[in-house]
Amino acid sequence: MKILVFIKKNPLFSLGTVMFFLLVFIALFGKYLPGIDTRLDEIIFLRDENNIPFAPPFGPNERFPIGTDRLGRDLLSLIVLGARETLIVIIAIALIRYLLAIPLGFFAHKNRFGVNILLNWINGFLSYIPTIIIVILLATLHPIVLSKIRPLYLILIIAALEVGRVAEMIKLELNQLSTKEFITGGNAVGISNFRLLKKYYMPFLYGKLLVNFVGDIGKVMFLLGQLGFLGIFISHSFMQTDAGVSGFENTSLSWPTLLTDAFRDLRGAIWIPFYASLAMTYVIFTFNILSQGIQKLLK
Amino acid sequence: MGWDLLKSFLVFLLIVVGFIFILLLPREMEITHHGGLVFTADFPFTFDLFKEKVQDFIHHFQTEKGFGENKMGVPILEELQTFLQRDLHIIIPAFFLAIFFGMILGIIQFYFREKWVGRIQAFLSWIFSSIPDFFFYIGLQYILIKLVANGYLQMNLFGNDDWYSFILPMIAVTIFPMLFMMKFTSTSLENEVGQDYLRTARSKGLQRLFILKHMLWNCWPSILNQAQFVMLYILSSLPIIEKLSSYQGAGYHLLDSIFKNEDVRSLAFMLPYLVFMFATVVLSKLVKHWLVPIKSGALR
Repeated sequence: MKILVFIKKNPLFSLGTVMFFLLVFIALFGKYLPGIDTRLDEIIFLRDENNIPFAPPFGPNERFPIGTDRLGRDLLSLIVLGARETLIVIIAIALIRYLLAIPLGFFAHKNRFGVNILLNWINGFLSYIPTIIIVILLATLHPIVLSKIRPLYLILIIAALEVGRVAEMIKLELNQLSTKEFITGGNAVGISNFRLLKKYYMPFLYGKLLVNFVGDIGKVMFLLGQLGFLGIFISHSFMQTDAGVSGFENTSLSWPTLLTDAFRDLRGAIWIPFYASLAMTYVIFTFNILSQGIQKLLK
Repeated sequence: MGWDLLKSFLVFLLIVVGFIFILLLPREMEITHHGGLVFTADFPFTFDLFKEKVQDFIHHFQTEKGFGENKMGVPILEELQTFLQRDLHIIIPAFFLAIFFGMILGIIQFYFREKWVGRIQAFLSWIFSSIPDFFFYIGLQYILIKLVANGYLQMNLFGNDDWYSFILPMIAVTIFPMLFMMKFTSTSLENEVGQDYLRTARSKGLQRLFILKHMLWNCWPSILNQAQFVMLYILSSLPIIEKLSSYQGAGYHLLDSIFKNEDVRSLAFMLPYLVFMFATVVLSKLVKHWLVPIKSGALR
């Protein structure tokens, strides 16, 4: 009974939680679900009613509920198996961003190490130039492209680019908090800055940070989707495709990779980009609902 | 005001220079042919190379007296003109539609916030703002393709040859900034509720619509500050949507030239975007100055 009352009081939070756990369930146990082809067999051809073979991609039919990709792999299995990697990457990016932003925001609030000026410049720069253009320019640099730990670099780049926005938000919150009396009290007792941040400021920030963090996960998914259309993924390898010509070879299963050929697929196999971006939309939706729900819950 | 604009201009120049430096970071590879089918590729990334690239870049502008020509021998400025015209067909209507309708919807949302109309509107806008624009575009294409395939509709879905080609991409980039403007307007109006001047106005028997006008005038500075964000959002999404719809505008070719390492061409296609951003900043400052001749922020 208590649970029902809670759900009725916090419908958004409950819906968001259910959607989130569904996502986590698929990410963890998706490969054990019936109808999921873990080996991702490449079906080379199918036969139509006149027994004439035709090549993939196959549209949605009885055998493949949402069709196959260009190699003849079941799209549903691809999406389910790619969920884990996709989720880990977007959550990692958002997490690193917030871990970096908290100290930066604090130093900016205290006006130390010129962090304030740095933040102003980063934010000013990115309020003129689309983030995605900068990500493209940095992600195609050779030391990063060829590095063994390229995924880590890319996660760091994407996390760091928007760190200024988050740090600015934290700074404003801290500025507001610092006028409160208990902070003056803490200062008067003479505690260290670290303890001041940890014990005096942070307890009041956790709620707001959580709401923004969850919302940001959705935004990261959006950016990764956009990058997917341009053929930039978190993990792939750089290969020679022809004499003197090299390109990116895709080695991961994460969702943005399904969008690489989108501008070609849109004209024929539109189900590939459609269902891949539908999956991303589901993630963005889930985290948006959850962030709104948490906000209402904390009020 | 003049000093303010000059400062914005200096910031703009610094940002352009900063962008050029990022653009010129070395990203070429050196391929050595060892005879037969044996190649080795080298990827130098040194400061000397960077310096050399910057010098080459300046030299290029000095010798060509401008951007010069692209690989096909067409002057870059000439191709830019064609592409930019197509871009303007999307950017200008998208920007003004997003701001104008966003504000109108925001006012409606605020006015009916306690009635069911407002609640439904809030819910719908929230759902639509959670849909990424590329999914919206692909979904729309899916429906249109089905319609065209079944013969209910006859139109070209891709490219830029028809008079209506710009409409689909424009809708895709307008939705999100419009909903953002709507939410921002209604929130800033809601923040005004309960202020003393409203009670005074109400006690004098002013009609609700006129009170709304009073409130709106107090919100101008914060609402107009969002114009830059609207423009930035449109410009960020435009290249991707143009690529998806094969609409050959400046955004399409900007991405193309970045991936092909054509620095001069990339800069030529990026500069108009930066100028649009700068123009938006200046425009919103001027409008703010004209509407609210007090220093912004002094109101609170």
